[in-house]
Amino acid sequence: MRLLTERFPDVAHDLWTDEDTVEIQVARDRIVEALRTLRDDPEFAFWMLADAAAVDYGIGEHFEVVYHLYSDRHPAWLRIRVRVERADPRTPSITGLWTGAMFHEREMYDMMGIVFEGNRDLRRIYMSPDYRSFPQRKDFLLPDDAADSSAAGVNPLERPETWDLTTFSRELTSSAATYPPLDTTRDAPPAAYPGAGESADKSRPA
Amino acid sequence: MTATDRETRIPDPIDLDRAEEARLRTAAGLAAPIIAEGSEYAGFELVGVPDRPLQTEREREMYTLEEGEMLVNMGPQHPSTHGVLRLVIKIRGEVVTDLDPIFGYLHRGIEKLCENATYTTALTYVDPMDYLSSMHNEHAPAIAFEKLYGIRAPRRAEYIRALVVELNRVFSHGLMIGFLALDMGGITPILYAFINRDDVVELLASISGQRMLFNFFRVGGVNWDTNDEFLSRLGKWHTTVLKTVTDNERLITENEIFKGRTKGMGRLTADQAIAYGVTGPNLRASGVPFDVRKAHPYSIYNELEFDVITQSSGDVYARYLQRIAELKQSLHLIDQIMDKMPHGPVQAQVPGIIRPRPGRAYGAVESPRGLYSVYAISDGGPTPFRFRMRDPSFISLQVVPVLMPGHLIADTMAVMASFDPVMGGVDK
Amino acid sequence: MDLNLLLGIGRFVLSTTLLLLLTVPTAFIVIQIELKVIAGMQLRYGPNRVGPWGVFQSTIHGFKVLAKEDAIPDQADRSTFTLAPWMVFMAAAMSMLVIPFAPGAVAADFNIGVVYFFAVLGLSVVGLLVAGWSSYNKYSLLGGLRSAAQMVSYEIPLTLSVVGVVLLTGSLNFSQIIAHQLAHGWNVWWQLLGFPVFFIASTAEINRTPFDLVEADSEIVAGPFTEYSGMRFGFFFFAEYVSLFIMSTIVVSLFFGGWLAPWPFPGQLAGFAGTIYGLFWFFLKTYFFVFLAVWMRTTLPRIRVDQLMGVAWKVLLPLALINLFITAIAVVAFNL
Repeated sequence: MRLLTERFPDVAHDLWTDEDTVEIQVARDRIVEALRTLRDDPEFAFWMLADAAAVDYGIGEHFEVVYHLYSDRHPAWLRIRVRVERADPRTPSITGLWTGAMFHEREMYDMMGIVFEGNRDLRRIYMSPDYRSFPQRKDFLLPDDAADSSAAGVNPLERPETWDLTTFSRELTSSAATYPPLDTTRDAPPAAYPGAGESADKSRPA
Repeated sequence: MTATDRETRIPDPIDLDRAEEARLRTAAGLAAPIIAEGSEYAGFELVGVPDRPLQTEREREMYTLEEGEMLVNMGPQHPSTHGVLRLVIKIRGEVVTDLDPIFGYLHRGIEKLCENATYTTALTYVDPMDYLSSMHNEHAPAIAFEKLYGIRAPRRAEYIRALVVELNRVFSHGLMIGFLALDMGGITPILYAFINRDDVVELLASISGQRMLFNFFRVGGVNWDTNDEFLSRLGKWHTTVLKTVTDNERLITENEIFKGRTKGMGRLTADQAIAYGVTGPNLRASGVPFDVRKAHPYSIYNELEFDVITQSSGDVYARYLQRIAELKQSLHLIDQIMDKMPHGPVQAQVPGIIRPRPGRAYGAVESPRGLYSVYAISDGGPTPFRFRMRDPSFISLQVVPVLMPGHLIADTMAVMASFDPVMGGVDK
Repeated sequence: MDLNLLLGIGRFVLSTTLLLLLTVPTAFIVIQIELKVIAGMQLRYGPNRVGPWGVFQSTIHGFKVLAKEDAIPDQADRSTFTLAPWMVFMAAAMSMLVIPFAPGAVAADFNIGVVYFFAVLGLSVVGLLVAGWSSYNKYSLLGGLRSAAQMVSYEIPLTLSVVGVVLLTGSLNFSQIIAHQLAHGWNVWWQLLGFPVFFIASTAEINRTPFDLVEADSEIVAGPFTEYSGMRFGFFFFAEYVSLFIMSTIVVSLFFGGWLAPWPFPGQLAGFAGTIYGLFWFFLKTYFFVFLAVWMRTTLPRIRVDQLMGVAWKVLLPLALINLFITAIAVVAFNL
């Protein structure tokens, strides 16, 4: 099995094998043809895409898209790792090869922000469609810092100006959420905190 | 002076009247909802189309209404669904022309949560994913973590794992029969299925302490050994299970109404199933003999004798028959496991907080819904660096929009139920 | 004033009052039967807390329905919204006028009793349509249209299968049909094809499983009844169970001898004791058919709407016509 992957000398590097997994790394722009060869070539015959996952290696580090393939002819899982840069998180979509990668790619987009070019339906799958950050990234704001999140202040109970029950004002008690957001500066933390003016959530542009 | 008189009604802050809604929409820069050119809907308010710009090509295809079409929302709150799933169905009269599943209502961020939890704690977080097959949910991460840590569970532990996993499969498939019948209007098989499930769940409670979210697996083995109560319950259950399941099955399998509603419905060809990544009983019912237990044996499955069952037609009826056949096969497997179980410890000597060496591991098991796998990355610390779960129900839902066009609305529930999705797994 | 006229009016008023008083307890009893029988078949206890063995459960359901808020959708047409449940319930109640409970205990012994019965039963279709339309809800409208289509399609095999009985008897009067059965044996033996057709068509007519897509499964929730709450929904709900009872009585009267006792017992007795005797056998047989309908509900899944229409037009209608044909030939040939 290791010998067979010598077929890709130019695109694959960093071979690694474990007791039951063979792992190769492929460059981003060659991934579609590499997967196509792996699927169609009768010696490989990796007909099943078992998993497509995205990994974030840290703040400032790259992403990786990891595919796991299975073939009847080889006893081990094949793991293919594609390195995606954080500054340019785009990679070709493999929905042309396996239509079932659609939901995998949607999830990777939703959670990590990796854009799959060629995917016909790249919208958010778990979060609501107007959500603005990417939860699975390492620099995502955890819910403890709710004041800095994109959803702060939507609920009238989080806005002190709505607490005066003697006056009834429809504007104040209706939801403040609109799409696209009317006021992009409302998420900034109050100026009284040290470090104010920069959002703690680095997973989206300021 | 009733609540419905316009004059005396207290205005509800949630109601926006038309002028204010229009004002907010223009302020937000929203366009009017899209209506297909020349269609009969011009001038009517459009219900169901999302009131935001449609983002993708597929959305535009889905939410553009042709002549005579209508959007129906089988909403997240549903009389008979498998969790909180929202299906937007585009129908022309009675016939479905397109379908868009929208979920995420049960998303709990388990993957992110497990990045802050130790390996043992992560095993407890994965239970409520696919809550009808909790043991499988725990088995895959246990395999992945053991690979990361570099140990093997003792043989008795592996046998106990296989035993509880097959018990879980038995009641999960039994429940699918009930849910399929319930979605078609038969109210009895679900209750018979719950009789069986109740027995099994009491059985598993006597060994793991929990009836539903078992928290039984540990890195390196299982938590408790079998005890007397477990064995006696197992023996008693074993004498009655085949009769209970057969009674339930006989109520449905030869029923003309059931057959008329499921035969030829939602036919999934083998190529389609492979392209869409469908696995498990759904794939085998379309004729592809792929079973993770045979293809990539884990645990002690290479010591057990069993066949990979397939059905030839990929319709709803075939998926139903496939699950019944697998249920009976699981009973056979349980027999073999009980015969062959060795003595020994049930948990390897593993510290409470394990710190595996940096590395990556992939563990896959055959859950009642398909291939359930975990990809774990360790960075040497006490918590996993990345903990990714691939849930089979998630992938199976992709097939439903492909199979539904051409069928009637009432078949939507039948086809969905035949794939047996559990929304906890879909939404993670 | 003519004494007979006064007595006639008095008798009519008394009988209609009794009938109207009878409908609601009957509905309660039928619902209670349903709850307990379904529970027994599903191997569980039914309601067993309210009253001894839970017998007051359905009564409490009735009071609960009275106590709920009566909400009318904002843009619904109020007058028709209010009218629809009355129409459905009145159709059911009016059709009870001709049911032969016991010898001499028929509220209105019309000479065209059979025709009257099926005509009035058809009024409930209008009620359902009006309910669906007036709710200002497109799903209710579609549900109402679908249920109207179902009921109208099944009325044809229903009435055609009864014509066979009428041909045998030579009269449309329920009392005479039963008298004919006393002389010649129960009609079910003479109408071996007509009885199954009638039974299936009547199950579809009253929207019972396996034909109950009106009340469950329809697009979203409850078809034409989605927007109804409180006592309005109560009317629909009770009307459904009362029509189950009424259909069972008609099945019994037309095919199973009405108030007549089966073979080893004397057919009917005379005088007041005869009335009690007849009532006993009548209710026994009726509740057997109610039990049968509940049994079918427990066991069978639901038929899809296109298969439903297919059954009505492609199976039941030809069978009813064949039955009619054979009966007509037999009546003429053997001078029955």
